[in-house]
Amino acid sequence: MHVRLKIGPVLIPTFAMPRSIAFWMHFVRSALILLGTTVASAENWPCWRGPQHNGISQETGWNASWPEAGPPIAWRASVGIGFSSVVVSDNRLYTMGNEDNQDTVRCLDATTGATLWSHSYEADLGDKFFEGGPTSTPTLHGDSVFTLSRWGHLTRLNRITGQVRWSTNVAQETGTRIPGWGFAGSPRIHDQKLLLNVGESGMAIDPATGSILWKSANRDAGYSTPVTFKLQDRWVMALGSGKSFLAVDVETGTELWQQRWLTRYGVNSADPIVAGNQMFISSGYGKGAALLEMNASGVNVVWQNRDMRNQLNSCVLLDGHLFGFDGDAGVSSSLRCLSWKTGEVLWTDESIATGGLMAAGNRLIVLSDQGELIVAEASREHFLPLARARVLQGKCWTTPTLANGRIYCRNAVGDLVCVDVRPTAPASSQVDQTP
Amino acid sequence: MKLTRRQFLSTSTAAGFALTGLPLRAAAATSQYRTALIGSGWWGMNILREALAARRSRVVGLCDVSADILETSADEVRDLSGDSPKTYLDYRELLEKEKPEIVIVATPDHWHALNTIAAIRSGAHVYVEKPTGHTVEESRAMHAVARHSESVVQVGLHRRIGPHHVSGMKFLKDGRAGDIGMVRMFAHSSGGAELPAPNSEVPEGLDWNMYCGPAPMRPFNSRIHPGGWRNFLDFANGTLGDWGVHWLDQVLCWTDEKYPDRVYSTGGRPIRGEPVLNEREQTTDAPDSQVAVYRFKSFTATWEHRRFAGNNAEKTRIGCYFYGTKGTFHMGWRDGWTFYPSNERESVVHEASQLQEPDGHNMQLLWNDFLTAIEKRKRPMADIEVGHRATTLSLLGMLSLKLGRSLNWDGATEQIIGDPEATALLRRDYRAPWHYPTA
Repeated sequence: MHVRLKIGPVLIPTFAMPRSIAFWMHFVRSALILLGTTVASAENWPCWRGPQHNGISQETGWNASWPEAGPPIAWRASVGIGFSSVVVSDNRLYTMGNEDNQDTVRCLDATTGATLWSHSYEADLGDKFFEGGPTSTPTLHGDSVFTLSRWGHLTRLNRITGQVRWSTNVAQETGTRIPGWGFAGSPRIHDQKLLLNVGESGMAIDPATGSILWKSANRDAGYSTPVTFKLQDRWVMALGSGKSFLAVDVETGTELWQQRWLTRYGVNSADPIVAGNQMFISSGYGKGAALLEMNASGVNVVWQNRDMRNQLNSCVLLDGHLFGFDGDAGVSSSLRCLSWKTGEVLWTDESIATGGLMAAGNRLIVLSDQGELIVAEASREHFLPLARARVLQGKCWTTPTLANGRIYCRNAVGDLVCVDVRPTAPASSQVDQTP
Repeated sequence: MKLTRRQFLSTSTAAGFALTGLPLRAAAATSQYRTALIGSGWWGMNILREALAARRSRVVGLCDVSADILETSADEVRDLSGDSPKTYLDYRELLEKEKPEIVIVATPDHWHALNTIAAIRSGAHVYVEKPTGHTVEESRAMHAVARHSESVVQVGLHRRIGPHHVSGMKFLKDGRAGDIGMVRMFAHSSGGAELPAPNSEVPEGLDWNMYCGPAPMRPFNSRIHPGGWRNFLDFANGTLGDWGVHWLDQVLCWTDEKYPDRVYSTGGRPIRGEPVLNEREQTTDAPDSQVAVYRFKSFTATWEHRRFAGNNAEKTRIGCYFYGTKGTFHMGWRDGWTFYPSNERESVVHEASQLQEPDGHNMQLLWNDFLTAIEKRKRPMADIEVGHRATTLSLLGMLSLKLGRSLNWDGATEQIIGDPEATALLRRDYRAPWHYPTA
């Protein structure tokens, strides 16, 4: 039984709120967590990093006390090779994968895993130094789902029927360079614009028609998803490009500032994290992290170090603390907690090398690259796992998704698993498992 | 495991031999060599990290055709050692201005010969990544120039010195597998058909003209750079020219014979499809599968690779089987070596690998061997001659594949017998202004 509570104006980033409201929301959330067993709030997850674009769900009351044998697995499905994560709305789940040089966008019943529709188009697997396949995540908005392929196919589909509303290839249409590993940033809806990390400082598309509103210089894009925020009465989009983190005016695409941020292969993957007038940026390949302070004319570096190197996935920011993966996959990596204010390492846990994570309430939901799903207290003191279970085999670099009492995890070859963490989850495991 | 210095010296002297009558070029044992890196990408920096870890190098120069790679690599060197290397887009300028004592060459294969020969002629000792050359005559020229110099030239065949390879070779040479009549080398991976990737403008800061260098100019494509050049035959020789060189060298390390007298290869791209190269787009063009047969006097060696299907039917996807009268010996990579006796009542013998992770190599041992060779004025474990021989066999395999016929090989004179067309392909025309190297 779910009780859906609407808490706060979820589309307004926390920093823009008066401190008192933020505090009130924090209080309400804490209260909900305390009441977790009796009052639960479920939440959809309509896009990469969730409804608030910060990797944090407001969902509460979900079950983190798992039996020895692990949490119940509601179903398993196969969605094709790739690293696209899962988005969920109204009991429908969407993700992407590649089979036989075809990308397929899939809509599955979030409860049963049954395929409701799929849409395919020819797209190279692109397995350069990894398994390949799509690396961005579909974006749900209104009655539509928007998808971007590594090679620039941009598609708007009807969310319910899978019917193509429009489809284009933004790389071909504009002659824009495709970075070494293809486009990986997920589409971002802001107001009446579909924002993409394509070109040096992004591209804006009219979501109604697929036509281009503005584009940027023909230089390598990075691999992060655009984030938007309001800075001094202006809506701003920030992203990682091939050589920097930068910000542009959402309305015009005019560049506001650039912080040079060069990595060995031009890989800036992790989304910038904004709080107030500060922005956290981080990259792998030995680069490290920095906290930037934004002002009218540009940015200043508050601190910079090599102590948080987000190669693939972004950190989450909870209560002034960053939680994320430091270091490159397969080289030396670990889970870390860093102070937002100072960049100081608060703890490091080497039991998980790399992977993806999100947060819900005051808990981290971590999927390790080995397929271990871990729920941990988001503590600044130490890594404190509350529950852990191996739910997948093979490489898992994709961030898990909690939505409506279920955690969805996938691996590189496209095994998708639905872990039932509803408060009233059935006690027996292996429910409805696909043979 | 790290070998002790004593163990290390005893293994290295087994293959090395003293050079006599040459002036001591190396600085005193406590000083640091002026070290430069040509090709500062992923693998080049791996080698340079070993050089820094050995604490006998001061990095004076980095060269790369990518300004971005230079910036990030110089940044890392500063972080690791405090050295502030000067950066160069042209290796000739680096050699002239920095006058390094040690040069590491880690460019794509098509540059190895010009880089290495220029470095030797500038008076440096050279550590060049395998393979030696991109065509046979380049490799011969590198060998000849090295022999006419005082330079130590080590090739990056770290399997010559890797602990499980050394012990496995001893096992074979001690006759524990009996008489070996056949060897099978292989490297299999998964994959499928390939669609072309669009060409694009050259990224800012990348000197694409210099990247292509002596190879034909072609449109820039992100499938080539960064890191994809191994499967483009203008720049490299596919899997046989990469993994094949390591395993061919293991065969040459084991056998007393120096070369085969006949080489045949077949293969192609039945799965990846016909190569595409036009103004709009391109695919790779290296074979997705290949078999090569090397006829030695006392045994036959075969190479096979597939870039599809993987190999879950057998115990391993990579390595070298030595088939002997007493059983089958598998020399592997991360899985060490394993001997499966013919007599099923005898037990399987296994030795685990002892590799440096994450990349699973033994570069530290090979680098230390290189330093010892410089200091003791002796040939290193993976001397240029060793690298040249193994590389030549891989290149003959590629040549037979191209021509579709067997090549009769006179290893003593390094000539193809009775085939002028094949002989002409032991070299290739360079793009101006570059000149094909000669000794």
